[in-house]
Amino acid sequence: MSSSLEQLSIQNPGEPDPNSDLSRDESYANKRRIRRGPVQEAWRRLKSIPTAYVAFWLILFMISMAILSAFGIHLTAYNYDETSLQTIANPSWSHLMGTDELGRDLLTRIIYGSQLSISIGLVTAGIALVVGTIYGAIAGYYGGTLDSILMRGVDIAYSLPDLLVMILVGVLVGHGTIGILFALGLVSWMGTARLVRAQFLQLQHEEFIEAARASGQSTFWIITKHLLPNALGPIIVALTFTVPSAILAESTLSFIGLGLSPPACSWGTLAADGWRALRTHPHLIFFPSLFIFTAVLSFNFLGDGLRDALDPRTRVKSK
Amino acid sequence: MNLGAEPPSIDSVQATDNISFDVIINLMAGLTQYRSDLSCSPCCAESWDIEDSGKRYVFHLRKNIAWSDGKTLTAHDFEFAWKRLLDPKVGAPYAFFLYDIVGAHEYNTGKLKDANQLGIKVLDDYTLEVRLKKPAAYFIYLTAFSPTVPQRKDVVERYGALWTEPEHIVTNGPFLLKDWQHEYKIELVANPNYFEGKPHLDRIKMFMIPEQSTAFALYQNNELDYIDNRSFPTSDVESLKGSSEYRNFPLLRNYCIGFNIEKKPFDNFKVRRAISMAIDRSVFPRILRRNEKPSDSWIPPALAGYKKSSGQGFDPPKAQALLAEAGYPQGKGFPQVTVLFPAREDAKLVMEAIQDELKRNLNIHIELVSQEWKVYRQALLRDPPPMFRDSWGADYPDAETFMNIFMEGNGNNHTRWHSKRYDQIVQAAEAELDGKKRAALYAQADAFLCREETPIVPTFLASQNLLIKPWVTGISCNPLDIQFLKDVSLNSASTQTTTLDFKSSIARLMTHKQLATSSQTLRSVR
Amino acid sequence: MFGLIARRILWAIPVMFIVASATFLLVRIVPGGPFDEDKSLPPEVLQNIKAKYHLDRPVHEQYFFYMDRLAHGDLGISYKYVHRTVNDILANALPVSIELGFAGLLIAICVGIPLGCLAAVRRATTVDYLCMFLTTAGISVPGFVVGALLIFVFGIWLRILPVALWESPRHVLLPALTLAAGPTAYLARLTRASVLEVMEKDWVRTARSKGLSAQATIIKHVLRNSLMPVVTVLGPLTAILITGSFIVEYMYAIPGMGRFFITAVTNRDYDLIMGTTLVFALLLIIANTLVDLAYTVLDPKVRIEG
Repeated sequence: MSSSLEQLSIQNPGEPDPNSDLSRDESYANKRRIRRGPVQEAWRRLKSIPTAYVAFWLILFMISMAILSAFGIHLTAYNYDETSLQTIANPSWSHLMGTDELGRDLLTRIIYGSQLSISIGLVTAGIALVVGTIYGAIAGYYGGTLDSILMRGVDIAYSLPDLLVMILVGVLVGHGTIGILFALGLVSWMGTARLVRAQFLQLQHEEFIEAARASGQSTFWIITKHLLPNALGPIIVALTFTVPSAILAESTLSFIGLGLSPPACSWGTLAADGWRALRTHPHLIFFPSLFIFTAVLSFNFLGDGLRDALDPRTRVKSK
Repeated sequence: MNLGAEPPSIDSVQATDNISFDVIINLMAGLTQYRSDLSCSPCCAESWDIEDSGKRYVFHLRKNIAWSDGKTLTAHDFEFAWKRLLDPKVGAPYAFFLYDIVGAHEYNTGKLKDANQLGIKVLDDYTLEVRLKKPAAYFIYLTAFSPTVPQRKDVVERYGALWTEPEHIVTNGPFLLKDWQHEYKIELVANPNYFEGKPHLDRIKMFMIPEQSTAFALYQNNELDYIDNRSFPTSDVESLKGSSEYRNFPLLRNYCIGFNIEKKPFDNFKVRRAISMAIDRSVFPRILRRNEKPSDSWIPPALAGYKKSSGQGFDPPKAQALLAEAGYPQGKGFPQVTVLFPAREDAKLVMEAIQDELKRNLNIHIELVSQEWKVYRQALLRDPPPMFRDSWGADYPDAETFMNIFMEGNGNNHTRWHSKRYDQIVQAAEAELDGKKRAALYAQADAFLCREETPIVPTFLASQNLLIKPWVTGISCNPLDIQFLKDVSLNSASTQTTTLDFKSSIARLMTHKQLATSSQTLRSVR
Repeated sequence: MFGLIARRILWAIPVMFIVASATFLLVRIVPGGPFDEDKSLPPEVLQNIKAKYHLDRPVHEQYFFYMDRLAHGDLGISYKYVHRTVNDILANALPVSIELGFAGLLIAICVGIPLGCLAAVRRATTVDYLCMFLTTAGISVPGFVVGALLIFVFGIWLRILPVALWESPRHVLLPALTLAAGPTAYLARLTRASVLEVMEKDWVRTARSKGLSAQATIIKHVLRNSLMPVVTVLGPLTAILITGSFIVEYMYAIPGMGRFFITAVTNRDYDLIMGTTLVFALLLIIANTLVDLAYTVLDPKVRIEG
């Protein structure tokens, strides 16, 4: 990446460079990064952004919570399907987040639910990223008739009723995590595709791209090294929005019979089950929502930070 | 009031659901009507004779009943409506209700082409004769049921499917259809010429508010005067129980677990019986919190034929012994069983509770699978899973509506279970005209079903919860869950839908105090 | 420009045709039929009903029958709402949804874009973090919770707005706010990201170093160049908002179209599913065409064919 950037600045003589000090500073940083490796360099940059750094640890914490729970290690005194006579108890010392209708400890269930919800967040965002970006990149880069055909494809995919598509996936793939992830991935890539294409259409005509083309660089190289990094901001936003909507949409899946089989649960199903008691027992909706909120906020900050860390034009240090 | 959803049809021949019935029964008057104790009393028919040991009914109509366009109601209107219900071209879902009538089944299936051969005859303008294939003691109830109300031939034929729109419809009941904004509200006004006298309410607005908490909020703001189960979330019921506005009564809707007795391990009646014994039914009202009544018999207590001893009590040690006899001591070797239930919040809670009970009391694990409603229905019809959740709501207040499901050939029996002995008992009950003997026969069948063979495990009876503003009187509480509004009245000057004025805001403050919820919710938001 | 519109109209025909065919196939593959009810009907009765709606014919015959009707502008009849045609249902419900949708869209644009700009300019300050916090809440709290809270605060507690129903212009406000919560957050985040992206471009720095104030730079140069992604999502967003939202219409008892997207599917009301899908597809095509036109306006260098 760093070498391409140096090429970029060389092949971009037409662009005015008002702040040569900073760019020299940057090329110095780039040279240092070659020695330290791009991962370490990104990590170092990430660490310098406090919000992203905290978000990183929060996400790591949630992921390890999910992994521990997947291996059956209890972090609380209860089992996720252990019922008791204390139904819908308010939060107390014995039940930090209260209990649900069957007297099950809510905190335990939230920790258990993180298994599915976190993987949904990561996998759906991953599918949206990979499929959406490739699709959008091809359409945006080549343009013309291919673009028209591909975009009409997106229109069609957008128009088909999600619910029907997901019921069908449920019938074909069957229950369980794979079916859930597949169904959610299937309906979530179109937005990213359109965004990437739009960014590419605009960037196409920037001088540095034309310069890159003129210098005979390969299409793949231009797309991955010049176009994508410049389109990263909106893509990351789109991804961070895919995460909560997928986590929440998963509760709809259990409504159509594709979701988890009880007593298993996820943040989505906990929120969907709890919201009706909003007036009388707000803890049932508050805590699951709080976890979704924290996770999404962390993804947001981390995404933002990563963009800054990976995109050398944003000078974090100069801030 | 709140209907909860758009009535799919207020054409009495097409309607199949309670929401539609709620509207139809206030617009139309049938031959008979239900009293509050659910016996049938005269309505359009002032009297009727039952002859030929229960196989011939002759209804004598009142002569002073006017349709809303001024014409007089005659026996022809009933004849037309009933024949239309049976007409195969109309494709009426509830046609089978009249299958007891001579020729009805053949006519509806196209085997009989001539409608005149049906056992429905107009003797003169005010006399209707109905002949049945076999004695059916419950038949009289059907004449109070919405699908059998009269219809006007000229109106239906002139406007076709659109005859139920407010500008076309012609009715004979206590209220007139004033306005119908689809998916939003239906407005009824009093029928000044109603033959039993003009009803007390001038205007009824029936809103279609699907979301319970919204309807409840509207009730709190005095924009709805009366709400039922459709209109408040379960969690609110509990805090309302102390309120003077709160009413509760059991419904004739029984929930159960069914077994597909052709699938292992439920081909063994001992396993089925063990499961029935291992479920502590007192858990259901505790988790559902709408005052459900635990039930272990299939006939609900409100109906003749109910006997306490018909059901299978809760007895874990005996259940374990039975399971051991069946070859699964302490649940060992019990195969993986999937249980199907519709994806609804309440059904999920119930199934989770049952799963928990069975794990605790029998040490067996059942796998819960929820399906979207239509997929669930289709699975029950085509290939029922080993275990599933089912329910039945009474169509008329007689044990027959529950018991005939398990007779051979009934499409609503998903258990694949049938028994000659059971069929004989129920058939004997159907033909029996003496009430006591009938009840005894039904009780016998019920015990055979729930104690002996156990193809189903009854779990609980649903209940209706109402909130009624203090100024509303006369709301009838009937377990068929149909709202008859003709006797309802308002005892203060406040109108149905209050506007924002000083008086109603005082009323609002008062309601606020009465409802224990509000203070709690206020706290949660502040 | 007119060439683009003309080509898009030509494109719309095959797209609509494919959407119609795919949905037609989809509804018939998915298990469960429109008449699998709570209480099962005797087979004879079922046969009668199916014959009435031509559902007893082979699927290809049904298909040609439907397409023929569609070509004449007839979307068929609803099985669930027995006496109503799909055209009639949509004619009643669509205007309501359009009204509500535009109100929501207006809020989302008027609040979201300025909020995003503000956050970008005041990057890494309290304002930015507050904005991040609010927008995250906007997307991660489920719509029905937002609705329930709004109803409670404004309808029951403060009593300044009607709780629900669809009677006067005052009744539009709460549902529109609920509807706008997610899109506002999305637009704000997207605007922020995109503005930041553009602000890092060298020519912006030039402008700023030449002494243009931050505000003037943003408004004059940056915003126009950073609207591409915002406009992109506005396309499908418009189609989604004006065809109605299930949650909002459900919560506020509004007789709009959104509820049919879900209920038609759960009822397997075949013709109604087809009708709602086709209306949505048509609106989506129109909105996306407008989006592509907007690209060329925003950035004259962008060229789109077809």
